[in-house]
Amino acid sequence: MIEALLIKLVVASVVFGGVLNLAGLHTWVERKQSALIQDRIGANRAPIFGFKLLGLFHGIADAIKMFTKEDVIPRGVDRTLHTLAPFFSVFFALVAFAAIPFGPQLHLGERVIDLQVARIDAALLYIFAMLSLGVYGVILAGFASRNNYAIMGGMRATAQMISYEIALGIALIGVLMVYGTMDLSAAVEAQGRTIAGGWIPLWGVVAQPVGFVVFLVAALAETKRLPFDLPEGESEIIGYFVEYSGMKFGMFFLTDFLETILVACLATTLFFGGWQIPFLQADGFHFPWGTEIPVANWLYVLLGVTSFTVKVLAFCFVFMQIRWTLPRFRYDQLMDLGWKGLFPIAVVNVLVTAGVMILLGGQG
Amino acid sequence: MPELTIDGRKVSVPDGTTVIEAAEQLGIFIPRYCYHPGLSTAGNCRMCMVDVENSPKPQIACNLPATEGMVVETESEQARKDRAAVLEFLLANHPLDCPVCDQAGECDLQNYYMNFGLYDPRFSEQKVKKEKAVEVGPHVMLDQERCILCSRCVRFTDEITKTGEFGIFNRGDRAELGLYPGETLDNPYSANVVDLCPVGALTERSFRFKARVWYLSSTKSVCGGCSRGCNTDLHHVTDRPHLNDAERLVRVKPRFHAQVNEWWMCDEGRYGHGWIDRDRLGEVRRRTDEASRRQVESDWDAAENALAPALAAANGRLGVVVSATQTTEELFSVREVLGERFGARIVVAPQAPGGKGDDFLIQADKAPNRAGARLLGLSDAPADGVESLVDAAIAGELDSLWVFGEDLVELVGAEKTRSLALSDCLFVYAGTNDNPTVSLARWVLPTAVPVEADGTFVNCDGRVQRVGRAFAPLAQARECQRVLCELASRAGVADAPSWSTTAEVFAAIAKSTDAFAGMSFESLGEQGALAASREPLAEAGTP
Amino acid sequence: MAVKVVQRPQLTFWEKLYIPQVLCGLRITFRHFFRNLFLHIAHRFGRRTGERAGVTYQYPEELRPLFSRLRTRHRLMVRENGAPRCVGCMLCETVCPAKCITIVPDEHPDPDVEKFPVRFDINLGVCVYCGYCVEVCPEDAIRMDTGILDIAATSRDAMKLDIHELMNPQLRKPVASCELDFPHQCEVHGGEVRGSWTQPAAVAHEPRMKPSKLRTSDLDSRSSA
Repeated sequence: MIEALLIKLVVASVVFGGVLNLAGLHTWVERKQSALIQDRIGANRAPIFGFKLLGLFHGIADAIKMFTKEDVIPRGVDRTLHTLAPFFSVFFALVAFAAIPFGPQLHLGERVIDLQVARIDAALLYIFAMLSLGVYGVILAGFASRNNYAIMGGMRATAQMISYEIALGIALIGVLMVYGTMDLSAAVEAQGRTIAGGWIPLWGVVAQPVGFVVFLVAALAETKRLPFDLPEGESEIIGYFVEYSGMKFGMFFLTDFLETILVACLATTLFFGGWQIPFLQADGFHFPWGTEIPVANWLYVLLGVTSFTVKVLAFCFVFMQIRWTLPRFRYDQLMDLGWKGLFPIAVVNVLVTAGVMILLGGQG
Repeated sequence: MPELTIDGRKVSVPDGTTVIEAAEQLGIFIPRYCYHPGLSTAGNCRMCMVDVENSPKPQIACNLPATEGMVVETESEQARKDRAAVLEFLLANHPLDCPVCDQAGECDLQNYYMNFGLYDPRFSEQKVKKEKAVEVGPHVMLDQERCILCSRCVRFTDEITKTGEFGIFNRGDRAELGLYPGETLDNPYSANVVDLCPVGALTERSFRFKARVWYLSSTKSVCGGCSRGCNTDLHHVTDRPHLNDAERLVRVKPRFHAQVNEWWMCDEGRYGHGWIDRDRLGEVRRRTDEASRRQVESDWDAAENALAPALAAANGRLGVVVSATQTTEELFSVREVLGERFGARIVVAPQAPGGKGDDFLIQADKAPNRAGARLLGLSDAPADGVESLVDAAIAGELDSLWVFGEDLVELVGAEKTRSLALSDCLFVYAGTNDNPTVSLARWVLPTAVPVEADGTFVNCDGRVQRVGRAFAPLAQARECQRVLCELASRAGVADAPSWSTTAEVFAAIAKSTDAFAGMSFESLGEQGALAASREPLAEAGTP
Repeated sequence: MAVKVVQRPQLTFWEKLYIPQVLCGLRITFRHFFRNLFLHIAHRFGRRTGERAGVTYQYPEELRPLFSRLRTRHRLMVRENGAPRCVGCMLCETVCPAKCITIVPDEHPDPDVEKFPVRFDINLGVCVYCGYCVEVCPEDAIRMDTGILDIAATSRDAMKLDIHELMNPQLRKPVASCELDFPHQCEVHGGEVRGSWTQPAAVAHEPRMKPSKLRTSDLDSRSSA
């Protein structure tokens, strides 16, 4: 029993440690990637003992700055809620990671370990719940700041997140129908199957291409980053965290990156086979032309985790690229896209999927 | 009454009028350097040349008597060419000093050149070097290079002051303005030559490099240096404290008044304004310790809280010394509040002995408003009125003694003032500047100087003239009527006056005093008005 | 009121779909990204150094070339004898739209020079770099050609340049000593004495800036009035 607890602790610390560090690295990636896109050099100062490491230490400098900055609490705000809001934001973004499976089952002697913090039957619902609860951090921040701009920013954020959550949810219904499960581990395992005589792995993106596009767009909107950054609009329209400074502001900032990673994880898990590698089964590679390479369990797990990580990083990269490519939507365009574009497409996608499944006789 | 035509407009003028004066009547300005209405005609600058019909040559308007049927053109092509030519000659030896010249900005040479100049200089020879920065007198600096030899200053010293210090020496381009050997320009009206000088040859030493003239604001005022009440323009700068040693009032210039001072004023009045910015009482002070008579800073609120009950309880045991240097409005508000409401005995400080007057402008009485005090009925006390009042205060017959603006040490001696300070009498000093009496008072109330508060002076001829308000009171200083009105209302006087502006005080004076009947600040205008009653002024008349 | 009808661009079907357009945008940013990434790596190995990966200047190591007409920090021109060329005419103080120039002139011992500044301060925190002072100067005594751009200070007071710093652009605060030889004593500037110019014994000259009885608070109250 104690052993099981310890193992869970280790897995949890690996997940959260990895995620938080990745979020920290995101600040560097954001700077450097945007710099390369825009023909600049990017942050390359902040040396430690003369080493600049391509500006990698800027994240540390930022963290030190955030922690040492004055934490301004404006006069007349609800101090409890004002303090609570950023914690809400970060907490719900973080706990959502618990349901993400990042590797196949690891066999250590007799013990079978799920590489997942919590194997939940309704993991998808759980993640959605956490994403929805994240709205509270935003609306509380706007509400508690006692600032008209902040509360309007919070309202914008809430409206946007709720609108896009609908499209997001419906887009995933198709995936649910294809794999027939809400358990993410089971969904990933289901993506190990192949079609077309074993040549094409049955990943979500193959089974649900329209669903994937809708999911991607809606998920980007969920992360509140460009081109959907109306809730923040730092430079001009002013967002919900205008009255935050120091590490509280840093936590909102961190939430953004956490959500980006979470969305990347979800996209990977649901549409790109999670930790699956094409043609790799639990006992080894089975190529469609007949070649078979046996693989040990530890190598299988290692390959799986690596595969998952690489896919997540690739998604993060693409998201970042999109963030530095597209300008911001106007608010009416944003709502139009959500309600008149993504929502009907997602619904039609569900209907079409259902029809196709009936035609194919109930199998995916 | 010859009738002549100038620039196509007809005007008829009295016999002997010159063309330049006739043009002035039409509002046509003919440029001039040597011509000055207050001086004899010299006709040497040639700047005022005009075209006259049937005249072979251009004529100088300043020395051309108007004749019947004369047709004069001041703006014809020929007249303009003449002016440009004259300016070219005048500038032949005039240095390019404008950046360092104090006259720049109010210089007729600059102005006329801008209007009528050649703009295409042909002069390439060396300019004649003469002496610069010559201190010709205590107030005046001469720059011989800048002089255009108009001789206005020479005529002034010859004709107005009759002291004759100046002369023009040498011939041709070496002609220069200078003092006769052994002379210095130290007559009591010497600085008028600076106003007369159309260029920067004669400048004021006190104004030297203090400010540029375009920084100065101007307020029409009246000199408070003696009972003549010369009309003045106050030039002041309040937005550049680094200039003029941080003093607001930069200089005083005489303002034309046909009946009072014409174009002139004396040096004493012109340079006697330093007290407006120097040694001012800035804050309310009160005595803390009876034994050491030490004073500390206080504020108006505390002063009013302390003084109002004392006034309310005075019940006639109150003495007031006012000064003839105060404006009529201040004297009136003292009379109305302290005299009428609290039954004070009001005494006007007598004329300071030793004041010298002359037969021109300077009056022996250096107080500008003794006539005003008389008109208000404040001159009935005997000659030793102040001394007897102080004696009464020391003897305990008075509960409090208020002194406005006068130095008691000078009036009754240091000994008596000190005994007054030691007595139980509440000794209040209200004034503008520091003097030996101030440190002995129990309360020191800083009041505004006349040019901070506006008001009127009545000069020796009974002319009521406005002082004007140039700037706000310094630091904590307040207008006298404001202090008294607030004290009266704080003391619970039922009919306490509530004048908020000096104009309202004057309106109250006009209503209650016959001599001022029908007057108002607006009707006084720039020239003032004669008070109706001349009777009490007999002893103060012109010597 | 006239109404101007703005014609919105008509989008084609493919443009309305967003996705192809997004991909077009991504193509551009990806092209830049990978080109620059490749060039940066190549530069590391000393290859293809002729092509710049970034178009930015690495300030402060790398300075942009300044145009000669660029207006940078002011300087006061100096005569051959080390005296300022300025004659204290205050035209620059007059023309300055930001009112950042403070000049106090005084009598020069040489009557041919007559006037010169004992105090010439420019408050760079207020200056708008319009260059009117240069334009208006009749003596070519002030120029804005020092090339000093990095004007920063930790206090407002440190943004004020006095005559020493203006005549010696190399000088930076605090001015401990000044090698310029001047015919006057260093004056009191805003309560602190800077510089150490000695007065030549031959020139009998009385400093004009006597401490006034008025205090700063008085000045404030009057300027507001």
